[in-house]
Amino acid sequence: MISEIIVAMVSVLAFGVSFHIPKSEYLYCALNGGLGWAVYRICQNCGFGPTASALWAALVLTLAARVLSAVRKMPSTVFLIAGIFSLVPGSGIYYTSYYIIMNEVSRGSAKGVETFKIAGAIVLGIIFGLALPQNWFNHLGRMTERIGRRRSKEEQG
Amino acid sequence: MSKSKLILDLAVSMGEELLKNGAEIYRVQETVEHVMAAYGAEDYNVFVLTNGIFATIHENREDAGSIVRNVPIGTVNLKKIAVINQMSREICQGSCSISEAKKRLEQCRKTSVMSKRVLIPACGVGSAGFCYLLGGHPFDSLFSFFLGMLLQWFLLFAEERHVSKFLTDILGSAMVTILGLVLYVLDINIQFDRVIIGGIILLMPGVALVTAIRDLFNGDYLSGGIRLMDALLTGMCIAIGVGAAIKAFQLLGGGALPL
Repeated sequence: MISEIIVAMVSVLAFGVSFHIPKSEYLYCALNGGLGWAVYRICQNCGFGPTASALWAALVLTLAARVLSAVRKMPSTVFLIAGIFSLVPGSGIYYTSYYIIMNEVSRGSAKGVETFKIAGAIVLGIIFGLALPQNWFNHLGRMTERIGRRRSKEEQG
Repeated sequence: MSKSKLILDLAVSMGEELLKNGAEIYRVQETVEHVMAAYGAEDYNVFVLTNGIFATIHENREDAGSIVRNVPIGTVNLKKIAVINQMSREICQGSCSISEAKKRLEQCRKTSVMSKRVLIPACGVGSAGFCYLLGGHPFDSLFSFFLGMLLQWFLLFAEERHVSKFLTDILGSAMVTILGLVLYVLDINIQFDRVIIGGIILLMPGVALVTAIRDLFNGDYLSGGIRLMDALLTGMCIAIGVGAAIKAFQLLGGGALPL
């Protein structure tokens, strides 16, 4: 599983490059992608289905994205898109349309329903994560700012 | 230009840049509203769709203005979103004048995209990674790596020649599938579907699908519908490309594939 998380981080970062993530945020985006995949796999190991696992993973990484967004002074989308990239049901869309085109309609519709369920679960996770009041995160941002200032003062003194 | 026109133009241009680069509808709407309010506009209305912005300012006054912008769905560029977000924050704090904001917006527009030499290998690495995450063997990932690089090269090539997006999707996925079939015919021991999915993962509208449903949940039904349609059509085009290649292979006597 550890190797999977590392692979998830690397591939999220790789596609992050094609989404033009700001260079200073590469590390944090990769961490968020790895976090999402880790939660997803842990949930699956605990016996959750793919939909519930996607929900929890999306919730955790949305919260992480908001913390990062407050600390790094970046819009949360940057971390959010990078984070959900490993969870989104890209292969589900592929299988659904593939089965339909190959005239295997029943397999196709089963895959289609599953794909929409996963996408819906990710969205619900994001919505729950975004529903927490912004000033909690703002507070966090100010706190890290204060720590940063103190540290630079110590370095000078 | 009167001041209200200047404000309107700047705010909507910032919104347009956000929308074009893949920001959420509510972010675009809020940014345009905040910028107009920060420069002292009193009465304004903004309506944002996935592919357009409509805005009016000071409807009942002498200096009334309105703007309609058509914004085609583009590729995601998170860096530009971050830059404009920072700008809007500074505008709201009152530390950025209209003319300065205009200059910075122009600069942001001109920011060059990543060079091919970075994009192509990056896509290869991503494809290989996703092949592995979807249950492929590291050996399968090796082939996904090359297919992913080839696909990204093809996408850039098609973009330069302004080939329609749907045609690009069909041809790109067909190309990857044909190469996968060549590997299969050469009797290399690969998991065919994992290699193909890894190879075309860049085309998959997964993020678009999630964004579409998010817009729907936010109450932006029309925007969500537009994006959903876009995602489904893209998925369909990819399947047509893959399906056509496989059907042709079977008709040529290749037999059933282990899918």
